Amino acid sequence: MSSWLDYTINGLIVGNVYALVAVGLALIFGVSRLINFAQGSIYLVGAYIGWVAVVQLHTPLPLTIIFVAVVAALVGLIIERFGLRPLQNSVRIAPLLATIGISFVLDQLVMLTFSPNPRALPSQLPDVRFEVGGGTIGPLDLLIAGVGISSALLLFVFLRYTKLGWAVRAASQDRDAAMQMGVDVNRVNQTVFGLAAALGGVSGLLVGMYYNQIDTAMSLQATLKGVVAEVVGGAGNVPGAVIGSMLLGLVESYGVAVFGTSYRNLFAFLLLIVVLVLRPNGLFASARQAPPEPLTGTFIAPSRPVRIPRWALVVAVALFAVLPLLPVSFYVLQTLINAWLLGMLALSLTLVAGTIGQVSLGHAALLAIGAYTSALLSLTLNVPVGLAIVAGGLMSAALGTILISPSFRLRGHYVSIATLAIGEIVSLVILNWESVTRGPIGISGIPPLSLFGYDLVDPRTVYWFAFAVMVVLALVQGRLLGSHLGRSFRAIRDDDIAARAYGLSLNRYKSLAFIFGGFAAGVSGGIAAHLYSYINHETFNTQQSILALTVVILGGLGNVVGAIVGAVALVGIPEMFRIAAEYRILIYGIVLLLLVRFRPQGLLGTI
Amino acid sequence: MSNINRRTLVKGSLAAMMAGAAFSRTAFAADADPILLGVSGPLTGPNAQYGTQWKQGFDLALDEIMAAGGINGRKLAYTFEDSQSDPRQSVAIAQKFVSDPRIVLELGDFSSPASMAASPIYQRGGLVQFGFTNSHPDFTKGGDFMWSTSVSQADEQPLLARYAVKRLGLKKLAVLHLNTDWGRTSRDYFNNAAKEYGAEIVVTEGYIPEERDFRSTLVRVRDANPDGLVLISYYSDGALIARQARQVGLKQVICAASSVYSPKFLELGGDAVEDVHVGTRYFPEDPRPEVQNFIGGFKKKYNGVEPDAFNAYAYDAMNMAAAVVKIGGTDRKAIRDAFAKVKDVPSVIFGTATFDVATRRVKGAMNAELVVRKGQFTVWDGKPT
Repeated sequence: MSSWLDYTINGLIVGNVYALVAVGLALIFGVSRLINFAQGSIYLVGAYIGWVAVVQLHTPLPLTIIFVAVVAALVGLIIERFGLRPLQNSVRIAPLLATIGISFVLDQLVMLTFSPNPRALPSQLPDVRFEVGGGTIGPLDLLIAGVGISSALLLFVFLRYTKLGWAVRAASQDRDAAMQMGVDVNRVNQTVFGLAAALGGVSGLLVGMYYNQIDTAMSLQATLKGVVAEVVGGAGNVPGAVIGSMLLGLVESYGVAVFGTSYRNLFAFLLLIVVLVLRPNGLFASARQAPPEPLTGTFIAPSRPVRIPRWALVVAVALFAVLPLLPVSFYVLQTLINAWLLGMLALSLTLVAGTIGQVSLGHAALLAIGAYTSALLSLTLNVPVGLAIVAGGLMSAALGTILISPSFRLRGHYVSIATLAIGEIVSLVILNWESVTRGPIGISGIPPLSLFGYDLVDPRTVYWFAFAVMVVLALVQGRLLGSHLGRSFRAIRDDDIAARAYGLSLNRYKSLAFIFGGFAAGVSGGIAAHLYSYINHETFNTQQSILALTVVILGGLGNVVGAIVGAVALVGIPEMFRIAAEYRILIYGIVLLLLVRFRPQGLLGTI
Repeated sequence: MSNINRRTLVKGSLAAMMAGAAFSRTAFAADADPILLGVSGPLTGPNAQYGTQWKQGFDLALDEIMAAGGINGRKLAYTFEDSQSDPRQSVAIAQKFVSDPRIVLELGDFSSPASMAASPIYQRGGLVQFGFTNSHPDFTKGGDFMWSTSVSQADEQPLLARYAVKRLGLKKLAVLHLNTDWGRTSRDYFNNAAKEYGAEIVVTEGYIPEERDFRSTLVRVRDANPDGLVLISYYSDGALIARQARQVGLKQVICAASSVYSPKFLELGGDAVEDVHVGTRYFPEDPRPEVQNFIGGFKKKYNGVEPDAFNAYAYDAMNMAAAVVKIGGTDRKAIRDAFAKVKDVPSVIFGTATFDVATRRVKGAMNAELVVRKGQFTVWDGKPT
């Protein structure tokens, strides 16, 4: 029985840690309706600034905290001024992508400055331990709890009782009305970003001290857990974020208690899905709170797509089709094969995210389902590879649609967060369902691609195969978009209430989009499995989902040709900068930011 | 001719190598260019730290190889391509290396998904993939061009089990392992060996590499009432577990796999890793000349920093590559055959390394039983802790 007390205490302790990140995320979401994917990077910057202060400057703790807060706030102000403010009049999706780009840049800068080796960040508090239950807690636990709760309280008071706080809330409710009433919205945004960044930096410092360890990989994990906690508590709700964090910590801890350590994150993401399905505004949203997203579809703004004449497309397809006959190195072909595989994934995502407006952040899960299905069918049941890949596509379509269906009632950012969670859940199920997926050992010896008994192992034939599959999928999708089905999809995206009023069944159309999209992604995953010959749960990870979304936004949401152009660009850019070695991902991030800044509707425009 | 070729390769656009590969390879061998090895590994992304450690080990080995006169008078060099441990990028790198006639041998990649996805390309392209950290049991089954000096876990884990059970006298073990292909394979070998030595495994917990909080896991461990904890971990997560174990009041003996052997383990773990037992392949006071050379040279080159296990793997791998290239020359097939011919290459990890031609791996890793005392790894004196 005493163990349960320990699990509870441990859950609260780790919830404490999540709360620090979640509060910053909630603050920013509250004002700008933006999930700040760069919050984890500011947390990372804070940790390393703290390391400089503690280890090199030997500052005492209060000074360290102030120093970190000030530097992190400056970073936040710079992000707001140069990364986000220029985008305030562009489409709603642009700032989201910008924060992803900023997080790439910040993480890489930290990595290049401090090297990727983990470092110790010694705690500056006396090492006394208090007995609680069967374990102990230290002064850092109390300090973290103090910072988390008091910052939430201070923010609550600030938002409720100060004039600037009112301005913040006014701006979050209705930006334009607030501006008309004379609220300086830019100053409000600055204040909020500065505050959130200072909090993020300090949390990085404290968490680094807590574990006596900081490394450059901590940023993505912090963002993921912070987002989960924030949404559970009610996006934009600061006290809710604290309680959501505690709840998340408890659920994880009890999950470990009952099922074991490897199920821990499964419970975190299941909690998120359950909360989103039952109470989409979070546990602590008040009933009269305005809907978190605008009723009509300004999330994805229409733009004038670039019209590409049909003959130009035909010429381009012909050129790429004869490319392997020209003296081109296999390396170039392999890079393009990657681009075609990513292109299939992007076709899938551009349909569900762009055309029908369900921005998915877990699309790699569809790849994984297709890949595992195809690999296992061909290995254990000796199904011919071509057939197995089609089966992978079908399985992905079916399973993907079933998994996503609970989140059909969600809108905007909430869809993204739900799909992010579903993606993580699929990956964790693959890790833990060992009897079928072989767990972390993965599946090796997957037979190579073959069609009608002929092995496709030469890079040229693989290239033609991947290219042909992608072109067929693109043609079908293009045809689909031109039909009444495509118009219905876009109607749902642009105004779901009007669409419903016209008698469109939203769920049915969303399912249709995910069925088609799931098939394309599953086929891509299936081909990849046979190309790689080995896959495990890490082969298709969150980074791939984020990459796919980047491709789609870069190409233009809903734009079929854009998805393919985007895939070629985002596979090609990092390869082109290979000469820059460690700097190439930094360059990639900067290129991404510039593209978002100057072409937020994507290279070819939203259709 | 060679100049034009190089320029087009750098551009990566028009490598007219396919037809003339054999021709240009001999053209290169004649000139004074270095013999080039390709390395595919993470320099950015979540595993970036291991790529930088590889580089340190490679560079040290290359310095020594050059000082000893190079490869029959020619220089040896490597080109490091960043894969981020991402299979999508490692397969592109594989094609790049295979179609680059200057590359005679490939080293890496780091993670199993990235390495094994590239194996079919190396196998078909006839370029040796020398995966020196690839412990996945199926890695060398990818084909006769896959060779590995990674210590087989079938070798290593029984040594750790003997240390924990026979030497330290632990009878009820809690095993915490990274839930990766490496951790899982290791755990199975360890558990089997420990049971054979007569110990009982009271609880096993697998955790994902990103995990940082182990307090609840450790409550499970406590409730199973073991007399020792076994960590099948890398140094960063190993240090976290040790710290939190002490914080939640677990006082049992901790015994860890050789992959925690790193000065970082001491730095990150602090007081909590005091008295942690580590089975390793070498130790600083080891009188073997290859160990003394390695540690002395490393400290000299890198401002007194102590090398760790990953540095040692990379250092050994580069020395092995040099030995192989000395026999095999610059022909890729001859290099593959040379892996079967090299005998007794001096090695930090193995003492002397000779490949088992059937498994394409090296057997007989050295064994050292260390313990952390006063913040330093020292040879265990046999006294209980």
